[in-house]
Amino acid sequence: MNHGPLLAAHVESFSFHGAQTPALRDVRLSVEAGSLTAVLGGSGSGKSTLARILAAWLPGSHGGELRGRLELGAHGAGARVDFDGGSDDPRIDPAAWAAHVAYVPQDAAAMLSTVRDTVAGELAFGLENLGVPVAEMRRRIAETAELIGLGGLLGRGPATLSGGELRRLAIGCAVIGQPSVLLLDEPFASLDAAGAGTVERLLWRLTADGTAVVVFSSAVDGLSRTATSWTVLGTGGPEGGRQLAAGPPDALLAGDALARSGVVVPGTAPQGPVRNSGHTDAAPVLELKGVRFGYHGPGASERETLRGVELAVRPGEVLAVTGPNGSGKSTLLRQLNGLLRPRAGSVLIQGLPTHGIPTGVLAVDVGLLFQDPRFQLFERTALREVAFGLGTKRRLLRPNPEDARVRERALAALAAVGLEAQSGSHPLELPASSRRLLALATVIAREPAVLALDEPTVGLDRHGLEVLDTAMAEATARGAAVVMVTHDLAYARARAHRLLRLDNGVLAPVE
Amino acid sequence: MASPSPQQPSLFLPEAPKRRRLLEILGAASIIATYVVLVLTQPADIAAGPGSLAALAALGGFLLGAVLLVVAVLPTLPTSTVVLIPIAMVLNIVLGQFVGSTLVPFYLDAIGTVLVAVLAGPAAGAATGALSTIVWSLFNPTVLPFAAGAALIGWLAGLAARAGVFRRFYLVPFAGFFAGVLGGVVSAPIAAFVFGGTSGLATGAIVSAFRAMGDSLLAAITKQALISDPADKAIVFTVAALLVYALPRRTAFQFPFVRRHRVLAGRVPAGGETAVKA
Amino acid sequence: MSRGSLSLERLNPLTTLTGAAAVAVITTAAAQWAFSLTVLCGLLFLTLQQVRAAAALRAAAAILLPFWAALLLLHGLFFPEGRTVLMALGPAAVTREGLLFALDAGLRTGVFVLAFLLFSFTVRVPELLTALSARGFPPRLVFVIVSALTLLPAAAQRIARIRAAQEARGLVIGRSLASRLLAARLQAVPLVLSLVHESGERAQALDARGFSGRQRHSSLGAVPDSAPQWAARRVLLVLCLAAVAVRVALALFGGRA
Repeated sequence: MNHGPLLAAHVESFSFHGAQTPALRDVRLSVEAGSLTAVLGGSGSGKSTLARILAAWLPGSHGGELRGRLELGAHGAGARVDFDGGSDDPRIDPAAWAAHVAYVPQDAAAMLSTVRDTVAGELAFGLENLGVPVAEMRRRIAETAELIGLGGLLGRGPATLSGGELRRLAIGCAVIGQPSVLLLDEPFASLDAAGAGTVERLLWRLTADGTAVVVFSSAVDGLSRTATSWTVLGTGGPEGGRQLAAGPPDALLAGDALARSGVVVPGTAPQGPVRNSGHTDAAPVLELKGVRFGYHGPGASERETLRGVELAVRPGEVLAVTGPNGSGKSTLLRQLNGLLRPRAGSVLIQGLPTHGIPTGVLAVDVGLLFQDPRFQLFERTALREVAFGLGTKRRLLRPNPEDARVRERALAALAAVGLEAQSGSHPLELPASSRRLLALATVIAREPAVLALDEPTVGLDRHGLEVLDTAMAEATARGAAVVMVTHDLAYARARAHRLLRLDNGVLAPVE
Repeated sequence: MASPSPQQPSLFLPEAPKRRRLLEILGAASIIATYVVLVLTQPADIAAGPGSLAALAALGGFLLGAVLLVVAVLPTLPTSTVVLIPIAMVLNIVLGQFVGSTLVPFYLDAIGTVLVAVLAGPAAGAATGALSTIVWSLFNPTVLPFAAGAALIGWLAGLAARAGVFRRFYLVPFAGFFAGVLGGVVSAPIAAFVFGGTSGLATGAIVSAFRAMGDSLLAAITKQALISDPADKAIVFTVAALLVYALPRRTAFQFPFVRRHRVLAGRVPAGGETAVKA
Repeated sequence: MSRGSLSLERLNPLTTLTGAAAVAVITTAAAQWAFSLTVLCGLLFLTLQQVRAAAALRAAAAILLPFWAALLLLHGLFFPEGRTVLMALGPAAVTREGLLFALDAGLRTGVFVLAFLLFSFTVRVPELLTALSARGFPPRLVFVIVSALTLLPAAAQRIARIRAAQEARGLVIGRSLASRLLAARLQAVPLVLSLVHESGERAQALDARGFSGRQRHSSLGAVPDSAPQWAARRVLLVLCLAAVAVRVALALFGGRA
């Protein structure tokens, strides 16, 4: 059965069109049947780029200039493809390649065709394109649905799935073609513990069946700890996009490559610098009194999401709220700045009720970091992004006397999150982790009295977590309060003064 | 799941799909022939009622031309362009529906079409124009016969992009103006023969003014189109150009058309098809 | 779902599409206002039998009322070819011919609009596309159409998210038109940019899933069809051709276009 590696690659260099420096330099990878490989690296280390190259999503004229070699083992197609960056480089047929090497991007939704109204139809899409006969198609759909644990949801619309279900569907779309290698970019990003567990079990099943699985991640999680081998990519400067180390996990945990690259290793991060002594005697900066809220409209359940939430947060205090997916944590945060308004009860910011005050005005006092930064960023450059709404008024043609001051504040906020070098970059072109930090910069630039953070740790590498800690520490030091919603219980315990759990629409302390 | 599929197709892409020249030519010929026939045989006496044959010819000839163009072009487009088209369609439809409901004598229903044309070329632009009209007609059937005019605008915008108009911002409104003149002239017979002279209150008022001066219906509508369309398309081209300039460079340069024809100003990334050595 | 035996939702979508096209072509070829009026009444009656009658009629009214008003204004007042002047109003003149022209064109467009709206308000889009793909329609065409239709509501949702993000950073949308226009511009640009940006990734995912393959595609679903419907479609097509042929013959030999 074992005929050497299923997939071997050597990326001598890869540069995006128009980029000055290569995104990847001298990276080698080789995977064998039934193995689990983890490619680890901090933000901007080129993990996603490497995954795309291995998946044949980038090479050729698509995204940039590649020098190097991709090789499929004899067990697969037995093919060897050489690239020298010229325009006569071979152009890989993505579909033929995906029959051997399948890839699931970080944004699982991008995997879906968007033109199918059921899970079964979505799974069928790839098979239909290959002209698989209907009987065979039904059999494979049933098999795959059972494998990914969506057997009961075949008739559901893909848009109604939860995060974990959506990711398993994306994996199903990739493995229904029976590839021998499966590449996954951050497979656990923004999943809660239950959702991550189902994905993890699915990946173990795939390796047991002989599929070689490669995960690309910025954190050492439960799955990557069980990996056969690790490859660590460097971040920034001369180490950026270079292979720092490769080998069995134990050897790499002992070395310094993980730390240099900024990979998050649970249990090794410095603990608790945020804890200021909360100003316990001061008046609360944020109060919720008997807040009730429910979504209405077709499809929404009749039950209220918030059923009498009571909360008081004092200046300098860090409060964490946990709870299962769908318990209404994000809904709760949106009450704070008026994006959602309570059906009953009231929200008070610095002692004043928010009732009737537009969100745009409340934004002066409440800064909200959204769960998904893609929808929080909308400007053309990182600097403009942070500067948005910092001045009093937008003016046309006339120079705004505040401009210089706004620019200064925006640059300071960018520097605080370590993105000053990227001030001219397009927010959508930043790596996912930097995008979250940019979103954080937009919040701290306003110096609000209340920081409302929705899952702030997701997708951050070690450097990002340090930035987040510093930002929270500075905010609390000047008397602001932090309310964060997170499913990362360990992080919440380490950073927050108080830990509450949202369950059945009410808040209760966690012991 | 490690078993390889039994049949072993090539791992490499075949040569780029052949352009279906014949279908393209047939589509364009159908549109041109329809226009010529309509203008030459326009009913001398419309007092007897809106011409039936002219309406059928305009409806059939223009629609057939638009459909032929779509069928000719779509299979030859790269997937990155195909996924762009629905976005452009949504942009066209939402803006067109919104502006059409106001009393402005503009349409602004081609911004998406021009966007695709600039990023992906004349053929893609033409297909986008025709397709978005066809889908829009599900909500507003009166736009269906204008599919050919919309395709023409997309095609012209693509030609302008290929010629490098979008490298210099000040040229863009002029290109839009000229595209509008041609587009207006082609669309006028539709309004005249299929819908009896109007497609909205604001444009109807302008047509009325020319009719009051004694113009024939087609002449009055053509003149109205020559007032509305060039200005409309100048705005549309300008807005589309601003959108393209706001795109991340990496996104814009993923389109081979942009790289090959140096559609945008600024440094051309190394590699790709253009190895411009000064 | 259906209300009574006249519900069009149970029919194969190709049958309703053929029907709508045939009604439009035959009415245009007939070019008789009385015939158009009869057909329009028939369509109205049929529309009232549908589940979504109210929505379809509202859409039709939104299109037709301004259209009819414009026609009446245009031809009712300015029709230089008119001979029978009913009322002279300075430069304008209400003529019998002008009013008849407006009536003719108005009814014909009314039939056209209502026939196609009746189709789009009773069709199930996934079924239509399955039916079209099963008949060898290019899969890319099918993809583009469905993707646009699913994107329409998704775009609205995304705009709401962008607005929420902007409000959370200090954007206050006033009630004035200028303020709302500025807000619309602020949201439209990021909407388009994010959609275009994501389309790149989607394209690669589609290619990896064989979207560009040249193989003949198969189809998981099947749309119910029946022999009578098959026959009805053929009859409608023949009727269309006949109507057009008669019209052409009349134009060539009878002198009336």
